[in-house]
Amino acid sequence: MSTRILEVDGISKRFGGLQAVSPLSFHMEPGEILGLLGPNGAGKTTAFNMIAGALRTDTGAIRFNGRDIVGQKPWDICRLGIARTFQLSKPFGGLSVVENVMVGAFVRTAAETEARAEAEKVVDFLGLSAKACTDAEDLTAFDRRKLELGRALATGPRLLLMDEVVAGATPTEAQEMVALVRKVRDLGVSILIVEHVMKVIMGLSDRVIVLDYGKLIADGPPQQVVNQPDVLKAYFGERYVQVHA
Amino acid sequence: MRASFTLILGLPLFVAALILPFVVADSYVVHSAAMVLYFAYMASSWNFVCGYVGQVSLGHAAFSGIAGYASVLLFTGLGLSPWIGMILGGVLAAAISVPVGYATFRLKGPYFTLTSIAFAEIMRIWLENTDEFLGIPLKGAQGLTVPPVGGTSLLAFQFDGKLPYYFIILAMLVGVMAATHVMERSRLGFYLKAIRGNRDGAEALGIDPTRYCLTALALSAFLTGLGGAYYAQLFRYINPERNMGIDLSIDMAVMTIVGGQGTILGPTLGALVLHPVGEMVRATLGGHVLGLHLIIYGVVLMLAVLYFPKGIIAPLQRWLTPAPKTTVTVVTPKEVEGR
Repeated sequence: MSTRILEVDGISKRFGGLQAVSPLSFHMEPGEILGLLGPNGAGKTTAFNMIAGALRTDTGAIRFNGRDIVGQKPWDICRLGIARTFQLSKPFGGLSVVENVMVGAFVRTAAETEARAEAEKVVDFLGLSAKACTDAEDLTAFDRRKLELGRALATGPRLLLMDEVVAGATPTEAQEMVALVRKVRDLGVSILIVEHVMKVIMGLSDRVIVLDYGKLIADGPPQQVVNQPDVLKAYFGERYVQVHA
Repeated sequence: MRASFTLILGLPLFVAALILPFVVADSYVVHSAAMVLYFAYMASSWNFVCGYVGQVSLGHAAFSGIAGYASVLLFTGLGLSPWIGMILGGVLAAAISVPVGYATFRLKGPYFTLTSIAFAEIMRIWLENTDEFLGIPLKGAQGLTVPPVGGTSLLAFQFDGKLPYYFIILAMLVGVMAATHVMERSRLGFYLKAIRGNRDGAEALGIDPTRYCLTALALSAFLTGLGGAYYAQLFRYINPERNMGIDLSIDMAVMTIVGGQGTILGPTLGALVLHPVGEMVRATLGGHVLGLHLIIYGVVLMLAVLYFPKGIIAPLQRWLTPAPKTTVTVVTPKEVEGR
C-alpha cells in the first residue's frame, strides 16, 4: 500500500449540470507507465488536471507517496515531485531552449550556474543539444513538445503526467517520442500518460485504464483491455459491438 | 549576446552623458538633460517589473509620490537627511506596493491596468484634498517646498548648480540598469519571463506567480520611490499632481513600451526620444494648441507599436549585432543526419 507512488481515491468533478468525472479511483506503482484512455469528453483531462492541482476535486483524496495532495497549488505539487506537460506546448518566448529548461531546473536550485548545468544535461538527454541556443519560439511543433517534456524533467519529478504527447506528430516522430518516454521511465520516473493514439499507448503502457462519461470502465494490461466489450462500445458504439460479437 | 549588445550601445551613450555637461555648460541644457535622465530612470524602474512580467501598470506615479512626500516630510519635520529619507520613502513605497499588488495581480490585462490607475488616482485625490493627516502637514494641492539650507550641502541634498543633480541621476540610472542586468540573469528574471510567456506553464514548473510578481513589484516601487524623492530635491518642491499624477505614470509606461520593454536599455532609449520631442513640441506649439504634445505622444506610440512592437531597441539590436539565427541554420542539417 505505502509503496504506491500515486493513489487516486474517489475523486470527482462536476461542472454545472455535467458530472465530468464520477468518483474515480486508481493507483500507480513506482516505475510504472500507466495509460489513461477514453473517447473525447470522457473526463481524461479533467482527471489529469485534478492530479496536477490545476483543478480542485469535489470529493476524494489523491495521495502521492502516501501524502494527501488535494488542495495544494500546482507549484507546490511540482515541488513535491509531480511534473506535468500540457496538450498545447507553449514555450516561454524570448528565452532559448536551454533557458526554457532552466526555468524548470530553478525549482531545485537558486544558482544560475547550477540551473544551467542541469538544463544542459536535460537538453542533451532530449537530443536537442544542437538547438540549445535557438529561441524556443522558433522550434518546430515536435521539438516544442520535446522541450515541454524537458522543462518538466528539469524539475526532478518522481511522477510525470503527460497530456497527449504525440498529437499531430508524424509516425517517425511518434516513435522517437515513445523511445524518449521509455528513456524517462528508465530514470526511475513513473509516468501517467493521456493519449488518443491507440498504437502509441498500446506499445508504451504497462497498464491502461479507460474512462467513459467520467466513469472508469476498464483497468488492466493494454491488450486485454482493448478487447473488452465496454471499451469497444465506448469507442465505436453499441452497434459495432453487436455486429462483431 | 544581449549583454554585449547593451555594452555596444550603452557605453557610447554613457560616455556622451559623462562629457555632455562639460561640452555644453549652459544650465538650461544641463537641467533638460537631467530631466531626460530622470525619465530614463523612472521608465527603467517601471520596466523592472512591468516590462518583465508583462503587466502594464499606470499607477507607478503613486510610488514616486509616496516616497517623495516621505522624504520631504522627514526632512522638514525631523531634519533627517533626504538621502536617508529617500531610502525610507522607497521602503515605504515598496511596503505599500505589496498589499496593492496582492489584490491586483490576480487580475490580468486591462483589469490590472485599470485598478492600478484607480489606486494612484485615489492616492493623488486624497492628498490634494488633505491639508493635515494625523498631525502631519500635507498642505493638499498646494504642495510642499523643501526649505533651502543655503548654498551647497551634500547632507541636505541641496546644491548650487545643476551639475551635481545631473551626475546623481546619471549614477542612479546606471544603478538601475545594473540592477536590471543582475535581475535578468537571476532566478527571479527567468521566473518573470516564464510567467509573462505562459502563466499556466510557469505554475506547473513550481512557480508561484503571485509571489514572484510581488517581489518584482516591491523592487520596482522602491526604485520608483527613489526617483520621486530625487525629483522633489531637484525642484525643492513637491505636489500631488506633478509627483504622483497620471501623466507621470503614462510617461513611464509609454517611454518603456516605445523604447523596448523587458530590455536593459529600452526605457532609456524611449526617454531619449520622447522627452525631447515632448519638450520641443510643448515649447514651440504649447502656447497655440493646448495638449498637442499629448497627441504627438499618442501618434509616436501608435507608430512604435505598429512598426516596432518590441520597441525601437529591436531594429538597433539587429543592426548592431549579427543575427543569432545563422548559427541555427548551420546546425540543423547535421541534426537531421544524426537522427
